[in-house]
Amino acid sequence: MTSFAPSKFAVSPVRTALCSAVLFLAPVVALAQSAPAQSTAPQPATVRPAVVRTSSDTHDRWLHVRVDGDSKEEVVRVNVPLELAEKILPSINQHRLENGKVKFDTGDTHGVDLHAIMDAVRTAKDGEFVTVQAKDSDVRVAKQNGYLLVHVLDKSGHHSGKKTQVEVKVPMKVVDALFSAGKDELDLVAALHALSAQGDTELVSVKDEENTVRVWLDNKNESN
Amino acid sequence: MFLLAKVAIGCGATLLAAGAYTCREGMLNVQVDEQNHGGSHVHVWVPAALAPMVLHFVPADKLRDGLREAGPWLPTLRAFTRELRKYPDANFVEVRDPNQTVHIRTSGGKILIDVHSPDENVHIDCPLATIEDIAGELQAKAPSA
Repeated sequence: MTSFAPSKFAVSPVRTALCSAVLFLAPVVALAQSAPAQSTAPQPATVRPAVVRTSSDTHDRWLHVRVDGDSKEEVVRVNVPLELAEKILPSINQHRLENGKVKFDTGDTHGVDLHAIMDAVRTAKDGEFVTVQAKDSDVRVAKQNGYLLVHVLDKSGHHSGKKTQVEVKVPMKVVDALFSAGKDELDLVAALHALSAQGDTELVSVKDEENTVRVWLDNKNESN
Repeated sequence: MFLLAKVAIGCGATLLAAGAYTCREGMLNVQVDEQNHGGSHVHVWVPAALAPMVLHFVPADKLRDGLREAGPWLPTLRAFTRELRKYPDANFVEVRDPNQTVHIRTSGGKILIDVHSPDENVHIDCPLATIEDIAGELQAKAPSA
């Protein structure tokens, strides 16, 4: 016959409590411990300082856009990992964008065969292709050291002392990748992939009296 | 009496476990504060793990119109959040002018969106995993799925 001594009864609820707690919390602890190893598991909700990654610890390439207004209070900063854009683009199938490619027709280019022009540029030696020096603007398009360079100086506002200067520097490999798809489409994903293989470079710079726009590529996840 | 104590401890432990499980993904926090006099202040705190579950109980006809609009973008949203989780904490968008600021960043597996303007302040704080789960649930309910 079972003994119901008071001393044994005093221990029983404590044991039960411990057993219950261990039994019920074990799956939670196991889940929490296994969470970081699972790709779909959430990250712990702790606040950590932003980490600036550089080329020393990652090969991730970041595209940065920065717009500075005439006053220090106006700033736009956008930082996008190229690999992220590369993976997201194929999932967007809207309008002319399909599977990471943009379709266009000859009407968009006013009958100009862009592929033929790019073939000509690709095979041409380094040099200036277009030079326009007019009263209101200077335009220069050149190929130099594997880059396609575009320089535009808009002087139309020179009476008010306002000038706009645009500099575009695109690696030829990116241009090649962009036109690597079919005749009437641009392969954005291939272009991004080619861009990610490039070193740190400034792609676009626009300066006028009111704003400065910069688009550049580097390994940092923050724009300075 | 001892039996009652055992039942109480069992229930307490179950509640504790359920609470820990529910909150393990963090909280979804939405705060909208209108600045004008008498403006509304909406502060919502929801355990992130509950949000995708709640979608199971929303009648399909209530979601139909929204899904028709958002449906094509759900795979993109899923892919975006899935990929975003692989990156370190970063500031993705920052817009600042004298009147308003917009800030979109990630921190500790969450996406944080802050908008401050003279009219209203908005703060959204949501685990990326939850957005991916919600997008997945909605994608399964979308007409094209």
